[in-house]
Amino acid sequence: MTGKRVAVVGAGMTRFVRRAQETGKELAWEAARAALDSCELTLGDVDAVCLGTAPDAFDGVHMKGEYLSDGCGALGKPFIRTYVGGGSGVFVGIQGWYSVASGMFDVALVVAEEKMSSCQPHPQGAFLTIFDNVLERPLEPNLLWIFALEMNRYMHAYGLDKRDIAAVAVKNKRNAADHPAALLGQADITVEDVLASETLAWPVQRLDVSPISDGAVAVVLASEDVAAKITDQPVWIQGVGWNLDTAYWTNRDLVYPEYVENAARMAYAMAGVTEPRKQIHVAEPYDPFDYKELHHLEGLQLFDRGKAPEASRDGVLNRDGDLPSCPSGGLLGVGNPIAAAGLMKIAELFWQLRGEAGARQVPGTPERGVAQAWGDLMQVGTVVVMGTEPPDGVGGAPPRGGRSAPSARSARLRAPAPADPASLPVIQTPPLAAGGRPLSEAGFRSAVGAVEHAVDARYAWDTGVAISTYLRGLQSGRILARECDECERVLVPPRMFCERCFRPTDRWTDVSQTGTVQTFSICHVSWDMHPLDMPELPAVIAIDGTDGGLLHKLGRISPDDVEVGLAVEAVWKPGAERTGSILDIAYFRPRGEP
Amino acid sequence: MLDKLTDPALVRRWGGEIPVRHRYTPGLAGEAFFTALRDRGVLLGSRCEACEYIYVPCRLFCERCFAELTADTEVGPGGTLESFAIGYVDVEGEPLDEPVTVGLVMPDGADAVLFHFIVEQGEEPLEIGMRVEVVLRPPGERTASILDIVGFQPAAG
Amino acid sequence: MTSGVAIVGVGHSGFSPIVAGLSYKELMFEAAQRAYDDAGVHPRRDVDSFVCCSEDFLEGTSIFDEYVPDQLGAVQRPVQTVSGDGLFGVATAVMLIRSGVARVVAVEAHSKASDIGSLGGIELFAMDPVLNRPLGVSPLAVAGLEMNAYLERTGLTEEHCAMVVAKNRRNALDNPRAAYPADVGERQVAESSPLFWPLKELEVARRADGCVVLVLASGELAPELTEAPVWVLGCGWSSGSASLESRTWGEADFVRRAADMAYGQAGIDDPSEVVDLAEVDDTFAFKELEHLEALRLAQAGEIAEMLESGEVETDGELPVNASGGSLGQGHLFEAGGLARTMECVEQLRGEAGQRQVEAVDVAVAQSWRGVPTTSAAVVVLGTGEG
Repeated sequence: MTGKRVAVVGAGMTRFVRRAQETGKELAWEAARAALDSCELTLGDVDAVCLGTAPDAFDGVHMKGEYLSDGCGALGKPFIRTYVGGGSGVFVGIQGWYSVASGMFDVALVVAEEKMSSCQPHPQGAFLTIFDNVLERPLEPNLLWIFALEMNRYMHAYGLDKRDIAAVAVKNKRNAADHPAALLGQADITVEDVLASETLAWPVQRLDVSPISDGAVAVVLASEDVAAKITDQPVWIQGVGWNLDTAYWTNRDLVYPEYVENAARMAYAMAGVTEPRKQIHVAEPYDPFDYKELHHLEGLQLFDRGKAPEASRDGVLNRDGDLPSCPSGGLLGVGNPIAAAGLMKIAELFWQLRGEAGARQVPGTPERGVAQAWGDLMQVGTVVVMGTEPPDGVGGAPPRGGRSAPSARSARLRAPAPADPASLPVIQTPPLAAGGRPLSEAGFRSAVGAVEHAVDARYAWDTGVAISTYLRGLQSGRILARECDECERVLVPPRMFCERCFRPTDRWTDVSQTGTVQTFSICHVSWDMHPLDMPELPAVIAIDGTDGGLLHKLGRISPDDVEVGLAVEAVWKPGAERTGSILDIAYFRPRGEP
Repeated sequence: MLDKLTDPALVRRWGGEIPVRHRYTPGLAGEAFFTALRDRGVLLGSRCEACEYIYVPCRLFCERCFAELTADTEVGPGGTLESFAIGYVDVEGEPLDEPVTVGLVMPDGADAVLFHFIVEQGEEPLEIGMRVEVVLRPPGERTASILDIVGFQPAAG
Repeated sequence: MTSGVAIVGVGHSGFSPIVAGLSYKELMFEAAQRAYDDAGVHPRRDVDSFVCCSEDFLEGTSIFDEYVPDQLGAVQRPVQTVSGDGLFGVATAVMLIRSGVARVVAVEAHSKASDIGSLGGIELFAMDPVLNRPLGVSPLAVAGLEMNAYLERTGLTEEHCAMVVAKNRRNALDNPRAAYPADVGERQVAESSPLFWPLKELEVARRADGCVVLVLASGELAPELTEAPVWVLGCGWSSGSASLESRTWGEADFVRRAADMAYGQAGIDDPSEVVDLAEVDDTFAFKELEHLEALRLAQAGEIAEMLESGEVETDGELPVNASGGSLGQGHLFEAGGLARTMECVEQLRGEAGQRQVEAVDVAVAQSWRGVPTTSAAVVVLGTGEG
């Protein structure tokens, strides 16, 4: 089957702010209304509504898609919330694409919202619960760990200079100075400022990180059948791709995001892009951390592995460079209300490819761009390729039938496309809602009618066959693994199924208690962002003789002496103190030390 | 299919929770509603001209047509009981010491309902369609909360 | 051709009050293995896209979609999570296939409800934080209010709701999967403890653990994969008002819109003439009746007669929840819609054993997401392409 061609025809967003006065519903409405206004459509013209928003633990509402639905314009309409963690903001654009491409809907309203400020005492605390419930959460990991671990691995593998990475944060915060919605635009920031900022979890420093934010973004998608009635300048979705890697993230080499490559290849194939470095004119890769933008540019096949930092240093990624990257200012500059920030990238390409980005406009006449987001445990890639020309290879009629009855359409959509496109409305620039009203910390604390709740969410997870057995092994001072005879791998943490072969694994085996440090961090903050007296040394440790590895902490070593490749061994708690827990291993220490 | 645990003693459960709390601003419309409730003891609503629908509490936007709304309409204090239910269990299903009655009340002049307690019922059984009126906390005790409303009681006479 | 999409494989695991000794991953693996076997596909080779349906707070994990790919054979493949009932996953699969981006899609949903220690506290967290939650009452209040408004509008009684409970628990006796089969008298229902009167204990579906996986394929491919494709003749979904304050009470308007969308695609004008079997949401007994009306399978005024005459029994004119429904099979949270769809598939294939309904050509499955939500999805399934 082939589907309908799909165009972006409108976009709008709120300001991104640290603490919004509005409710999440109100933020969603402000962005959605701005997007509809930008192309002079009404809610009655919308056939389906798509929502992307990240964990419920941010806004603090169970089933928050249901809660936000009215603000998204979903009343009386087909509405679905999709969810791929941090990748949700670009993914919801993909959701909008397949909703329209399916031939079932002509106009889809695509909304992304996040209200992270609700989460107390610090939104980072919600991230504790993204880690494995049994094997990782007892270590009290901070979200920064995984970024620091990945960044260190990346820097180590290619011998990268932190300055070249910091240059990304500088570029994006400077770009954001031109964005009317930006939270952290700063025209005069320098690499020295980034390098001098507080070290949170080495090598991650405060200015390497995008800020906690509230905000919403919306775009309007239309089928080829109606796009020409809405605008003479549709921006076409030429290709989409998404990909999810294994949850066993400590089994992967974090040096390269294969899932982004897979997603990009899927999107490029659909878009007919065979030489992305020539055919992509502007990029909006996901930049929650500065190194991530570089990592993702490599995954997007826009630079060789390990070579994006050079491009950063040489100005290739600047707005006037050969490959403008995050001309919006990205998450580092505009802000990071998770899903909204992802959809902002699609909105930015819409404005850039129409030549409407104002002070942010990249030079020349860009004809094709790529937006990308990332999420989960270094796992998800979501990619959308957009361009000024409709895609080849797709289009034409999807299966007959299945189309929803048009709702209360405005006259413009009911009539044929005008002969003179100049008679169509001009998109208002900038299509920025009045919304995203910032509150100070004090204003947030004293807001009239504000309430606080602590959710009563308690669990007793069944650890199942694999992890129950593994925990018993730990209690007896052994590390147990499962073997798969088909791919001949030895799996730690163990699972009863092989994810690569999709078959049951074959047998238990006792494995070594020694391993190698794949990557590590020196972390100065607790899981909920309280300063630590003594830094912690989280590390990914490859267990010798296996194809796996695990997350744990290093001990009996000075932070200055830790290095990637260090040989380590498990140090167990005394037998009587073990409870069948990952904490039965007290820590890993350098092998052979007294 | 997978190998299973055959010794019941090996079945293991691991406890945990989601250790966060949340602070919610009531938003632009919510601030107007709660300020009016606290300071003036009135129920504030919003009228959508296009939809001919009056929301209560007031709203920033019409969920039906997306029009921007303002807090322009006072509703109540009397109203009609649209439904009610009598609770015998708490949030986790444990028995309550005293049953609690909740209702849906459409304040006079509104098209929407308020979800709240039904109080001071007296001898007469509740009936859907009966007249009720709002009971507020005394002015000095109001904190700009939905609990500034004690509940609704059957209307006198 | 209608949607041009068919269900070519179904698989399940669990359906027990408590599945002990299997993690949610292991529960999912077993259901997936059965579904892929049933469809004759291998996920590492043949499945183009994977859709999982879950909510973070029911799992106790934020960004739960992290933990789904491995046990589904979906690593390094297109995988997404839909925050909704499994039928929204089916809707998503239909769109993916029609758009041309996938030919074979797996849809998964599960419940590991026995892992949850504070379901009431979590459900309270779904209520509006500023307007509703401060009252501190159980979200079952919303069901009680809806039931009272529904009975008031239709003139139906608590006795009719008790008949639904008795029917569904009894139907479950013929369903080897069911978690709560029983011969329950209507009087027992009437005398069960009031929770939020008029809602009583035996009228509330009890939770169960379980997982369902479906495999869907394009119209071109389906006949190659199976001799008995079950066609998705129509698929609709819709939302009502999120707010307690401004929603329609006593009537499931969102189910009506979802159903009309699905019937429209299937070319069905009068579903009561065409539909041979219905599997509808019965999270609360009265909801089955409210949903039958919204699905245009009965008018409110006919429902009492349909219950009393046995028309909705397995051997009646319009068997409703022959599987036992959620009251009989157990409440499977986001897997509820897929469980109902699986029942329809088995009935349409003639594989429903003791509870097989005669001459089933068209079946309807419907889901609702429970209090306090107003979102529903409906699929119309058939043995012919329509």
